[in-house]
Amino acid sequence: MSDDLIFSVKNVTLRFGGVVSLNDVSLEMRRGEILAVIGPNGAGKTSLFNSLTGVYQPQEGQILLSDGHGKTVSVIGRKAHRVSAMGVARTFQASRMFSALTTFENIKIGAESHKGIGILGAMLRGPRTRRGEHDSDARTIELLDFVGLRDKANVISSSLSYGDRRRLEIARGLATGPQVLLLDEPAAGTNPTEKLELTELIRKVRDVMGVSILLIEHDMKLVMSLAERLYVLNFGSVIAQGTPEEIRSNDAVIEAYLGSTTTTEGK
Amino acid sequence: MSRWWRRPSVVRLASSVSVMAAVELVTGPPGSNAAPMAGVSGSFAEKVSFFGLFASPRWSVFLVYALVLYGVWSLWLHRGRQIRNAASVVLARPRNIAQRGTIRWSAAVVLVVVAALLPHFVSDPFWQTAMVEQIAVYVLLALGLNVVVGFAGLLDLGFVAFYAVGAYATAWVTGALPLPPLFGVHLNPFFAIPIAIALAMLAGVLLGTPTLRLRGDYLAIVTLGFGEIIFLFANNLNGITGGSAGTGQIPHFSIHLASIKYVWGLAPVPYYYLTLAFVVLFVIAFSLLEHSRIGRAWTAIREDEVAAESLGINPLKFKVMAFAIGAASAGFAGVVTAAQTNFVNPSVFTLYFSINILVLVIFGGMGSISGAVLGAIVIQTVSMYLIHTPPAGYQPQDLYIYLGALLIVMMIFRPSGLLPSKRRRREIGLAEAGEGHMDEVLTGDTP
Repeated sequence: MSDDLIFSVKNVTLRFGGVVSLNDVSLEMRRGEILAVIGPNGAGKTSLFNSLTGVYQPQEGQILLSDGHGKTVSVIGRKAHRVSAMGVARTFQASRMFSALTTFENIKIGAESHKGIGILGAMLRGPRTRRGEHDSDARTIELLDFVGLRDKANVISSSLSYGDRRRLEIARGLATGPQVLLLDEPAAGTNPTEKLELTELIRKVRDVMGVSILLIEHDMKLVMSLAERLYVLNFGSVIAQGTPEEIRSNDAVIEAYLGSTTTTEGK
Repeated sequence: MSRWWRRPSVVRLASSVSVMAAVELVTGPPGSNAAPMAGVSGSFAEKVSFFGLFASPRWSVFLVYALVLYGVWSLWLHRGRQIRNAASVVLARPRNIAQRGTIRWSAAVVLVVVAALLPHFVSDPFWQTAMVEQIAVYVLLALGLNVVVGFAGLLDLGFVAFYAVGAYATAWVTGALPLPPLFGVHLNPFFAIPIAIALAMLAGVLLGTPTLRLRGDYLAIVTLGFGEIIFLFANNLNGITGGSAGTGQIPHFSIHLASIKYVWGLAPVPYYYLTLAFVVLFVIAFSLLEHSRIGRAWTAIREDEVAAESLGINPLKFKVMAFAIGAASAGFAGVVTAAQTNFVNPSVFTLYFSINILVLVIFGGMGSISGAVLGAIVIQTVSMYLIHTPPAGYQPQDLYIYLGALLIVMMIFRPSGLLPSKRRRREIGLAEAGEGHMDEVLTGDTP
């Protein structure tokens, strides 16, 4: 697998008992692109995300991840925290912040999660611990500025608006220093203004930070304006892929979304 | 900041000198284990007072110790000095919160002073003994369990096992067990402290590594079983632990370092001070821990394990760590108990004991260090009071009825405990508002 591919998913099947959640899914993600996965409810989009991040372990197929230094590793068989260490960050569909902590603390947890731990150092607040805290603080502040939450640094995260929660989750994911960021419906529950700002932010993440983006989204307007390539899932299978223009005119996609059969039968 | 006596280096020097002065006072000719406070309570005219110290050459040794302490302290702070940074601007806390911090610190200092003076006002031998065996030791245990239950959110019903490991480790290295100590060296219990703590932590890691993959109730059952296993071992391995009779030959603490000489004897008060010193140390260490990387990772795991793991936090590692750290303070409590009472026997190490400690933590407020301390003091004082001056018709076995009633009242009116932690209080508030997602199934499309 060449280094300009980040994810290479080959024939992945994921089952829960008798229910097939992902059926023979293959997908490639290039470094530096904004890729979207769309599909109706229950199509298996979040299952795909969970498989890519090590939360679910598919029974069949391969998920290969390039670590950015010329090496390729398998995601299947690795735990979620190991996958995170290899540069995969994500956000969740329903925001999952640490709601009793402040914005700052939330992001800091991401910034320090891959650092070494010394119990004694932490209990005595030794020089190394303090230097580590300092580095994480600096990184956190950078990210607060980047996503525009600096003035809400000391706010308890559960009192943030939906839009700000998304920003927080993005910043928290970026804090782990990823090569790819997986966004699970980032625009859900946001108002039109927030949606616009979020689109800009996501593009900025890719352009400024050089982090590749993989996103699931229902909002077609957002997806079509943001994504460079799309995959369409339906009932756990990939039914189409291509640029936004190609997808827009794809019959299978239209059928999956509108449930109309006349167009295909007419052929 | 312009006042010279408030400069950090001056404060540090003064603290070093006073700590060493206190140590010298109770360890030299002025003090003795018969009269530990002679150095303070003796009149100036007699040479036993603090000023008697300067009549002997001991004061130079004392000064050297003080300077060494000051030096180590300053060096510790100096490395990593450049740590004033932009963070302090963003994190500059609102004035009222900063003031609250000062108030908390002042309250802690006042409490320590009160605790230090307390033995002067309590002359009843029952209470003097209770202060060590039933209150100070339980404070240590509550502090340890608070790390496990409060910080990491793991329900441990076998916490007594670590206490037992500490006590038996002390008996072992001092040569009081049928099992001979390593290399045949009979150590003083003072040197048993690191060994007992290490062994207790090891027990924590050994128990934690396979079991902490379990969640909630399952973990509680396994730890409960572990507590019983340790009890059965202690009770039945006659050749190693001395069986149900235990052992009664554990020596007292003693320390000999140049001019510092001290033997902890039968009197409870010196033990009280020793335990108090360690309580203060553990409180400081655990507070720093709570606000360190590790403490934040615990909060993250407790609130949302899936999200925490997606950020690269290994939940198992941090949970095992919580077990080990909690076990350390229980192990130390075991050392104190073993050395102070001179014996260990398995009858203490029962499930009731574990539950008793859990009650202290819940009562005080899970996840709150001050809560654990206060909870232990209040509950243990109440139960000691009931034993000391029982009301009419009170039977010893009624104790748990009273404690149960107290706990129920508590849960109705203050479910988050006497002194809840800030983070926990927010979590409970959010859960009540239906906003928490502590144990929610993975979100997303249903498979």
